[in-house]
Amino acid sequence: MLRPGEDSVAITGLGVISPHGDEPGAMFDALMAGTSGLRRWREAAEPVVVGSVQFEPARWFTKMQMLGLDRVSQLAVAAAEMARTDAGMQEVDPFRVGVFVGCGMGGATSIEAAFRSYATTGRVPPLSIPAGMGNAPAAHIAMRSGFKGPVLSYCVACASSAVAIAEAGKSIRTGEIDIAFAGGTEAMLVPAIVRAWQALQTLATPDPEHIETSCRPFALDRSGFVLAEGAAFLVMESADHAERRGARIYADLAGSGVSCDATHLTKPDSAGQARAIRGALLSAHLQPADVGYCNAHGTATPAGDVVECDALRSVWGDDIAGLRVSSTKSMHGHLLGGAGALEAVITVLALNRGQIPPTAFCTRPDPKCAVPLVREQGEEAPRLRAAISNSFAFGGTNVVLAFQRKH
Amino acid sequence: MSDTLEQLRELIKEKFDIDASKIDPSASVLESGLDSLALTELLFTVEEKFGVELLEAAREVTTLGGLATLVDQLRSGARPAPPAQSNAMPMR
Repeated sequence: MLRPGEDSVAITGLGVISPHGDEPGAMFDALMAGTSGLRRWREAAEPVVVGSVQFEPARWFTKMQMLGLDRVSQLAVAAAEMARTDAGMQEVDPFRVGVFVGCGMGGATSIEAAFRSYATTGRVPPLSIPAGMGNAPAAHIAMRSGFKGPVLSYCVACASSAVAIAEAGKSIRTGEIDIAFAGGTEAMLVPAIVRAWQALQTLATPDPEHIETSCRPFALDRSGFVLAEGAAFLVMESADHAERRGARIYADLAGSGVSCDATHLTKPDSAGQARAIRGALLSAHLQPADVGYCNAHGTATPAGDVVECDALRSVWGDDIAGLRVSSTKSMHGHLLGGAGALEAVITVLALNRGQIPPTAFCTRPDPKCAVPLVREQGEEAPRLRAAISNSFAFGGTNVVLAFQRKH
Repeated sequence: MSDTLEQLRELIKEKFDIDASKIDPSASVLESGLDSLALTELLFTVEEKFGVELLEAAREVTTLGGLATLVDQLRSGARPAPPAQSNAMPMR
């Protein structure tokens, strides 16, 4: 394991706009209780389940600031600002601050509106391009606060924001920057995008009686994931910087692992996933037995959950009994490009609190998902020292973040 | 004050929450609180609202008063609609 101060990156602030609200502690409490934040989508006549967020733009932006500002950027700016407030960070050297943002689908609202406008009137609003471009969220975070270090965007499907956090950690470790605002954002709950995901047949079948229970990772009756919007950001600092300013440290980013299956655009591959897990453990100087919790990718697709459990078992071997696994996507849905960051926040809070949130609605576990699952209610885990968060993307890129409790 | 100018001021108030009554019709719009992106959005909205095509003609317009005059000219047919050209928005 890492010694104190050795290559560690401190996580000192958290900000979320999630289907469970915008207060990380309250969100975590809801997750521990197995409470779903999923609900019926208002845009469809038939039952469709999504993870939507409550967000009041006027609380954050003037009308002038809203120009060319897609919802995906609005959520990002607000979550990053809440993370900064949480970190108690006032004055910074703007040249030593980086912004690292993951996003899978860009300004989907603006892009869909542009196509809709063109199809109906032949005209397209001129700010559709700057609103819809994939690096807009990062740019707006930087402009809002005047951050002038590396401001980068990562488009790696469902692993986008996990990559952003991993890259932020590397930038801090090399000494390029002292502080990173790293996270992800997604706002794609617009008709054309939701319908496209439905057509791909990867979404959960809505439960007619209890629609909020439709996503059931690792369960025999799982049928896919639930699309969700939201944003999550972490303030990351070099250990020295955090200690100098007396910051509260939730946990450390101890390491990360990245691999690519290079086999298929959408089909998961346990060998590729296992390589990313091993890479994360290696870079964090952790042994499998050191890790007490895995926040799984766990999308609840029939194939994906089994493959992920195979990958975990191949790395842990006989030590698997000491690991606890859950997929919180059962309650907050799949934020795609924002998923890695939201789940990183949850994993960090699990370490900080010594509590492991459950997979909800997994009443009948699939025997093929043979890993120790935390189900229905969260577990107390006062001796939890290290945890990982998995993000496995369409396109084959696998990203695993390893976190460690502050010594 | 022309009716068109007053409608433009109302549009600016509604769209950008800027008190356009304080915008001098003969002063540069870009020095009155609107940046280049806002101006681009304003011109697009003006086209929608007044049913005109500003296009290249808008390059000559730097003031709200000038924009009102241009809109009036285009609507009355006193000025033919110019050919489409790229505008003067600052771009990287």
